[in-house]
Amino acid sequence: MLEIYNLDVNLSYRGSQIKALDNLSFNVYPGEILGLVGESGAGKSMTGLAIIGLIEAPLSISRGKIIFNKQRIEQNANAFRGSKISMIFQDPLVSLNPLRTIGEQLVETIRTHIKFGRKEAIEYAKSLLEEVGIEQERFDAYPHTFSGGMRQRVVIALALAPKPSLVIADEPTTALDVSVQAQILELLKKLCRERETSIILITHDMGVIAETTDRVAVLYSGTLAEIGKTFEVLNYPQHPYTKGLIEATPRIDANSLNSKLYQIPGVMPDLKEIPVGCPFHKRCPRYIKKCVEIKPPLLNERAACWLLDNEKGLL
Amino acid sequence: MVLLLVALVSFIIFRYVGNPVDNILGQEATMAQRAALEDALGLNQPIYLQYFDFLVSAVQFEFGNSYRGALPVAELILSRLPATLELAVTSAVFGVFFGITLGIYTAINRGSFISNFILSSSLIGVSLPTFLIGVLLIWIFSVELNWLPSFGRGEVIDLGWWTTGFLTMSGLKSLILPSITLGLYQMTLVMRLTRAEMLEVLKQDYIRLAYSLGLTNKQIYFFHALPNILIPVITIAGLQLGSVIAFAIITETVFQWPGVGLLFINAVYYVDIPVMSAYLLLVGFAFVIINLIVDLTYILIDPRLRDNQLKSER
Amino acid sequence: MKHPFLESDLYYNFKRTPIAVLSFFVFLIIVIMAIFADIIAPHTPFEPLTLNLLNGFTPPMQANEFTGTIFLMGTDDQGRDLFSTILFGLRISLFVGLMAVFLAMVIGVTLGLIAGFVGGVVDTVIMRFADIQITFPSILVAMLIYGVAKGLLPPDLRYEMSITVLIISIGLSEWVPFARTVRGSTLVEKEKEYVISARMLGLSYPQIMVRHILPNILSPVLVIATITFALAIITEATLSFLGVGVPTTKPSLGTLIRIGQDFLFSGEWWILLFPALTLLLLALSINLFGDWLRDMLNPKLK
Repeated sequence: MLEIYNLDVNLSYRGSQIKALDNLSFNVYPGEILGLVGESGAGKSMTGLAIIGLIEAPLSISRGKIIFNKQRIEQNANAFRGSKISMIFQDPLVSLNPLRTIGEQLVETIRTHIKFGRKEAIEYAKSLLEEVGIEQERFDAYPHTFSGGMRQRVVIALALAPKPSLVIADEPTTALDVSVQAQILELLKKLCRERETSIILITHDMGVIAETTDRVAVLYSGTLAEIGKTFEVLNYPQHPYTKGLIEATPRIDANSLNSKLYQIPGVMPDLKEIPVGCPFHKRCPRYIKKCVEIKPPLLNERAACWLLDNEKGLL
Repeated sequence: MVLLLVALVSFIIFRYVGNPVDNILGQEATMAQRAALEDALGLNQPIYLQYFDFLVSAVQFEFGNSYRGALPVAELILSRLPATLELAVTSAVFGVFFGITLGIYTAINRGSFISNFILSSSLIGVSLPTFLIGVLLIWIFSVELNWLPSFGRGEVIDLGWWTTGFLTMSGLKSLILPSITLGLYQMTLVMRLTRAEMLEVLKQDYIRLAYSLGLTNKQIYFFHALPNILIPVITIAGLQLGSVIAFAIITETVFQWPGVGLLFINAVYYVDIPVMSAYLLLVGFAFVIINLIVDLTYILIDPRLRDNQLKSER
Repeated sequence: MKHPFLESDLYYNFKRTPIAVLSFFVFLIIVIMAIFADIIAPHTPFEPLTLNLLNGFTPPMQANEFTGTIFLMGTDDQGRDLFSTILFGLRISLFVGLMAVFLAMVIGVTLGLIAGFVGGVVDTVIMRFADIQITFPSILVAMLIYGVAKGLLPPDLRYEMSITVLIISIGLSEWVPFARTVRGSTLVEKEKEYVISARMLGLSYPQIMVRHILPNILSPVLVIATITFALAIITEATLSFLGVGVPTTKPSLGTLIRIGQDFLFSGEWWILLFPALTLLLLALSINLFGDWLRDMLNPKLK
């Protein structure tokens, strides 16, 4: 349904161009939930913004194709925004207009995309509120009277209102209390499954990936490190970085009690100083000479790592 | 509170600065003349009584007589207030309207040729002292083109308690240049503020969400962004209204506009203390009123403040 | 080894912003011309002996019909060479502006430091006073102070002291922005480890304030000083234009414009134009530079 080919996003800095996203390619299939995972600054949110066409200076899409239902959209995302693709942002406290009631905001979005009369739009808006678990009486309430979790429910209602076929959820639960996170994720998952809407779920939390997604793409320094079915990637990671991410995730079970959490050594390089070769080799426990010299392509349609080339699946 | 303090300052000025007796009678007056005048002006009473008297009479609009011309100050000010208010209101409307419009335009079309042109000329506008703008306008439109009058209010119609220049052709014509002079500064300020706020607001997540929901630019700019910039813009515009009063002094001097500002500058020039202190009180009063209006507007615009207000009243 | 300043973002951006460079150099040229007015000026406009009334009203770059002298910018009614008059006027304007900013800075920084560092009642009193003063436009405050000061001075001193009075009035009317900013930054710096450790070492308050906090809050002070300087020059010009500034025997740019306006209707436009242009250039260059500086040093706007 959504296909991305060789996407480059450049950041212009002091007159030169720095690659923030480098040769990114992946697909999203109808009705699936694709996880996009990586450290802060890996380019997860940027990928989301690029798909929905909200990349702004000093960033720009410099190469590549984004194809949605056989139409190229990277040049005129306007026509697709909302109606076909919508987005949910990280912090619900700031993603609703504070001066307008949630009802007004819902009705406005609905009427922009669906030819509804005022009454119909209000009816539809109220049914949506009901679906996301907010009483209809709160239709005329202002955002500041809601808690963070409730506001994210409103945002979900807004994002689903125009009946899009893809929702990009950019860390939708990071800013929320832990107890609320699961509820919101479940709600999003349930509603999208009912509507057969695909989700790109951006997160840095491997736990969320494991519980929610069908497939997962791991980003590192603006490059795709690994992509595949969630079950396979989590259980049989092919890229050393994925492996590190999984091992660095805290677990709560008897064995791990009091044991020290694994850390990937070093930090992700600054965009200005991405090394030649594999961007990860300076932190990689198993890098070989080739890693320093040539950047690995995606091998076996799975991971961008030269180790796969040498010793198949040995990781 | 503010008003009381302002009153205190203006009282101190009134009482201690300059010697009213000297000013009225000159250096060569006899002792007897001086004593008589001191009595007449109430300068012999204890100081707190004098302050109290001052407050009481201020509330009643009694500011004593101007040293120069010996007319009651209140009468002087009241007769000149309409001229200043008409000028201030016209210029404020001009400044705020064009300021917001241009501010939004330049924020939306950031980097376009016209925006850059407007912005750089606005910077010149800010740098140009008000009086220079006035003088240049007179030069172009009065001296060279001979289109508009360069001084005075033109023909005014007396409505009994108010004199207005709005109703005659020459009155309106006379209003144009001073209003532009006075309004230009506010316009540039409001414009730059509107632009900065607009750019700030357009970066907010709710605007990004609105974009990602596929709302049109028009919906986003006017229904989502504009209301959110109004609060800071109104605050500054309100505070600026204070400067309008100050800059009115300059504008009135340049155009010989018979308003309160001209009265004040003459008072400073001739050290006419009662007029100065009365003017100060008037300005303080205007500020209090303006602040009140600004606060009320906030509550109208922002539901969050509305709720806070209700809570604190309970 | 390059100097660290040449490597900084500030300098990089400066080179890349033609307006900043241009305004900086225009300002520099104006200042140099004002400083060396004695050398540059072709005439000495304030020596009555050298003046020739026959030279009066000579248009710029034209030979005078009686004496045949050519003046770059023409002459005024008394035959004073406008170019020289402007140079000397600039000097007065710049001097008044500089001194006023300096005064405002000293008062504002001191009060701001004290308010921020000491806190409590002192803070409340200072900032409350600042709040009230700031509601009144500085030009109005300056006028009031000027009027009051004139009232207090004995009449025979009024004339001589007017430049000092002017500096004090403008300085006193502009201290609030300094105080507010310094107080804000002081509150932040106060909580940092280095101040806390200085306190533990038993340094006195003034020592901590001047030696430790002050150097860390200088950059916003610098920006405000630049902007205030432009403002002070404009305020001075305005007051002089209104006739409540410097005496006419020592005309500043504002006074010159005031004189020029009188001759507008009789056609001697140059008497107005050249001082006005100079003032515009001066104010514009400082403002543009200050604007750029503010953008650079204020990360919020970046």
